[in-house]
Amino acid sequence: MKDIARQSMSIKVESMDMLNAQIKMEAHASALYLAMASWCEQNGFFTSAKFFFKQTEEEREHMMKIFNFLIDTGGNPISPEVTNINYDYSSIVDVFESTLEHEIKVTKSIHNIVKKARELGDITTERFLDWFVMEQVEEENTIRDILDMIEVTGTEGVGLQMIDNQVANWIE
Amino acid sequence: MNVIFQSTYYTLYQATNERCFYIDFGQKKIRMPFCQLLSLRHKVMSIDIADHFDSDLNTHGLEVLTLCNKEHLFILNTLEILDLKNLVEHGFLAIGLSAQKELQTY
Repeated sequence: MKDIARQSMSIKVESMDMLNAQIKMEAHASALYLAMASWCEQNGFFTSAKFFFKQTEEEREHMMKIFNFLIDTGGNPISPEVTNINYDYSSIVDVFESTLEHEIKVTKSIHNIVKKARELGDITTERFLDWFVMEQVEEENTIRDILDMIEVTGTEGVGLQMIDNQVANWIE
Repeated sequence: MNVIFQSTYYTLYQATNERCFYIDFGQKKIRMPFCQLLSLRHKVMSIDIADHFDSDLNTHGLEVLTLCNKEHLFILNTLEILDLKNLVEHGFLAIGLSAQKELQTY
């Protein structure tokens, strides 16, 4: 008997489910960074707003990368519903700390899929996620550097204005 | 056609010559290309069966399921949904695209 299912799809359905959950997570990140850009604009942090506009695009690109991978492997990518976006932040420090927390969650989620794909013997998915593993190192490092810069600059006096200006260094 | 998996109410077949699958729902047998089978899996696995035991969330314990780009419509009760979930789970295991049981035996 011909293996029609394997001819139609080259990854395991469990990997597909986890990647669909990751699509949702990336879409949530994209929407979250858009909300942060909005907060920054409204509170006078215009350079930080630009930074978050760029981040929101990047997260969408990540989402589309996974979406297209599922198409290429014959899977069923699901367009995600995004809800519960936070618009309330107590300060610019709170914004960047929330960003780092979210990036850590994304990193953990990707590591979890890599581990599961390895358990399933799904080499295709495991290798596909290599790029994401390294990308997360870069994402976390960027936000950590910004938080370090905030600590060095301080938030007193003109500190907040200096912080916003210096965020430009992390906009490529 | 080869039987892939048979549950209490439903049977999943592979039609090799047509390069597709069939599900016998009792009342009718439905032809499904692989992408439609994946779509069915998503719809069935997304049903929260706990809602069937909460009269506020699902008053009559029924689900309306549209299949194959709205070509077919089914109204299924709780037992039928549970059985369809079973068919999907074991069907994908039998066609080799799920490793759920293999992992459970470790």
